[in-house]
Amino acid sequence: MSDISRRTLLSGSALLLASTAMPAIGWTQTPKKGGRLVLAADSEPRNLNPAIVASNGVFFISSKIVETLAEASFDGKDGLEPRLALSWEGAADGLSVTFKLREGVKWHDGKPFTSADVAFSALQIWKPLQNLGRTVFKDLASVDTPDDFTAVFKFAKPTPFQLIRNALPALSSVVPKHVYEVGKIEENPANNAPIGTGPFKFGEYKAGQYYKLTRNADYWGKDEPYLDEIIYQVLPDRTSAAAALEAEEIQLAAFSAVPLADLDRISKVPGLKVISKGYEGLTYQLVVEINHRRKELADVKVRQAIAHAIDKDFVVKTVFLGYAATATGPVPKNDPQFYTADVPTYPFDVAKANALLDEAGYGKADDGKRFALKLLPAPYFNETKQFGDYLRQALAAIGIDAEIVNNDAPAHIKAVYTDHAFDLAVGPPVFRGDPAISTTILVQSGIPDGVPFSNQGGYKNDALDALIAKASETLDTAARTDLYKEFQKEVAADLPLINVAEWSFISVARDTVGNIANNPRWAVSNWADTYLES
Amino acid sequence: MSPLNRLLRRPEAVAGAFILAVLFAMALSASLLFPSDPQAIAGPALLPSFQDWSLPLGTDRLGRDVLAELFHGARTSLAVGLAAATAALFIGAVVGTLAGFAGGLVDEVLMRITDAFQTVPSFLLALAFVSVVGPSLGIVVAAIALGAWTGPARVARAEVLSIRERDYVAGARVIGMHPMAIAFREVLPNALPPVLALSSVIVAAAILTEAALSFLGLGDPNRVTWGGMIAEGRTVLRTAPFLSIVPGIALVLTVLGIYLAGEGVVETTAVRRSLS
Repeated sequence: MSDISRRTLLSGSALLLASTAMPAIGWTQTPKKGGRLVLAADSEPRNLNPAIVASNGVFFISSKIVETLAEASFDGKDGLEPRLALSWEGAADGLSVTFKLREGVKWHDGKPFTSADVAFSALQIWKPLQNLGRTVFKDLASVDTPDDFTAVFKFAKPTPFQLIRNALPALSSVVPKHVYEVGKIEENPANNAPIGTGPFKFGEYKAGQYYKLTRNADYWGKDEPYLDEIIYQVLPDRTSAAAALEAEEIQLAAFSAVPLADLDRISKVPGLKVISKGYEGLTYQLVVEINHRRKELADVKVRQAIAHAIDKDFVVKTVFLGYAATATGPVPKNDPQFYTADVPTYPFDVAKANALLDEAGYGKADDGKRFALKLLPAPYFNETKQFGDYLRQALAAIGIDAEIVNNDAPAHIKAVYTDHAFDLAVGPPVFRGDPAISTTILVQSGIPDGVPFSNQGGYKNDALDALIAKASETLDTAARTDLYKEFQKEVAADLPLINVAEWSFISVARDTVGNIANNPRWAVSNWADTYLES
Repeated sequence: MSPLNRLLRRPEAVAGAFILAVLFAMALSASLLFPSDPQAIAGPALLPSFQDWSLPLGTDRLGRDVLAELFHGARTSLAVGLAAATAALFIGAVVGTLAGFAGGLVDEVLMRITDAFQTVPSFLLALAFVSVVGPSLGIVVAAIALGAWTGPARVARAEVLSIRERDYVAGARVIGMHPMAIAFREVLPNALPPVLALSSVIVAAAILTEAALSFLGLGDPNRVTWGGMIAEGRTVLRTAPFLSIVPGIALVLTVLGIYLAGEGVVETTAVRRSLS
């Protein structure tokens, strides 16, 4: 895989460069205490409660304040390492999961953390209110708290332990019961100034300027955190992050705040390092969403033709400048548990695409066009917009006249997921470590209108629905994994949507920032061990 | 001395006219010189300018030919500029003539509406209009015209106010012409020259507004526009500055050319009027 080798090569060369420029660079050094880390933030989420809004934009800031039961890990068992929970065990019948909790943990307001907080968060927030928890915890009936440090999740229907385990890093943010039990949870002031158990306390937020987090001296981790303060400098303009790094105004730009096109140049700047590790658990998928209500697109031959018309290698090379991988199906290649390469593929072949369209009965008119479509590229990333421009050209090559419709984020979500006013859309869904968390709903039927990032294209495939239903209640890990491999085959064969590429983010940091990218969700983890050298 | 000769005596007017001529030539020849879709991928991505003579100005982030985009962009810019200015002048002249000629309540109402439009910055008005209705070329033209008609309306009204007191207007009344016919057949044509003098400013402003809208992602995404090219190039400003500089220069020259030529025409006609 040339793309992967380029990534490693690039970060490798950056590392080499850094090591020659700064011999003192410390991967093995003991962390230093103190200092203020200033980094770029490109969005300003209003609701900072990660238990309600489980999204990377919120986690980026609030994961330092509010902790989850467990965090993703490169070498931990099942890819997890303990946070607020020390251990977790699923019953054989799939009806319960027992968590042993960490003792001696204090909330930022001084009150002790107990199993009552976990029970409250799970039952009152994750299950009824959280965007992702609604699906994963839908059968959660009660949480028993035999003592202060044991929480037993009881499910009404057998729920695969593998799913619960995979959901822990993103879905299990624990918030204090004593703060949230008064009044409406959605309107609690702590949603804007979160109170948690994490290594940093919420300091202040100045709209359009910065978020400030300060050190939690009572943190449970020994000697942690190392930093005194974290400042999120709001820099909505992506080009300004690179300049700010070079001017030493900020020390870190995560989530590809530095445009991909600038990385080559910035990797040569002394004192800066480009890091593509630390996002393995946050894979974004570049997907062509299809409205199956259009009679042309309801024909699988047309969908296959579109898949054949897209040059995935070109997309990876030109749109993502190599910082991505081509996709084969709905599970990304870098997923260690579920991915299978054994699916139907659609190599780039314009002649074949044209033949398929002719076969489907959509011949070219005199002007060379077959039919016209409305294409809505999601506005969240430069790359989704650019891929929209590319897709328009790729479709023109097979006689499909695509008209691009640009919207801002709220209008795009409304147009695609509520009004269904699209034929094709370009979307960036996130793969969250388990297909049942946020992937199967992209193709499953029967989802109410208005649910963002779900199947709103009117696609209905009974066989696929049955497969998804069966996998959701299969307890045996191996059997469940096999069902999801079957799911990938079925999706790749029938193309309810077209997976084009998978990408993640790049961090650029000054050499002085230590312990970067040491877990697969680093940018949205708690940064207790992050330190500054000088 | 003919007006054309007088015009040619002014070097800045000649320069403006020359730039305009080049611009029109670019716009007209765009589909002859670059018959294929200017947004088609023509070569490797981010090819610098003056490296490959089949792609003299290089390529953008997707490998599209910058020169072809520049030519087709000239088309969009001119089309939007002229259409928006025509619409603005038309609306402005009609509203101004009606207000000035009718007087009284009609005048009050029309002029207060004009005031209302004038108090909102025209760019914000265009921005709001396009965000609500959705970007397409027609909508962008309408949005720009919406903010630009107030100037012509005020000038037309002022002119009409003085013309309507003239003898020939009184004469027309006496012979029983319909007031509307007097307003639009007798008064308006005579009120037009100072209104038309605004056209160069309006065209230049319209081109800039269109570019600014495209830069903010509110242009028609299915057409090449200079503003859109600059916005596209902005993300790679440090590595491929020519992607923003080339359309930027084109934009500056165009606005300058229109302004200089317009000024020249106004000055020469002013001289002619004062002479006559």
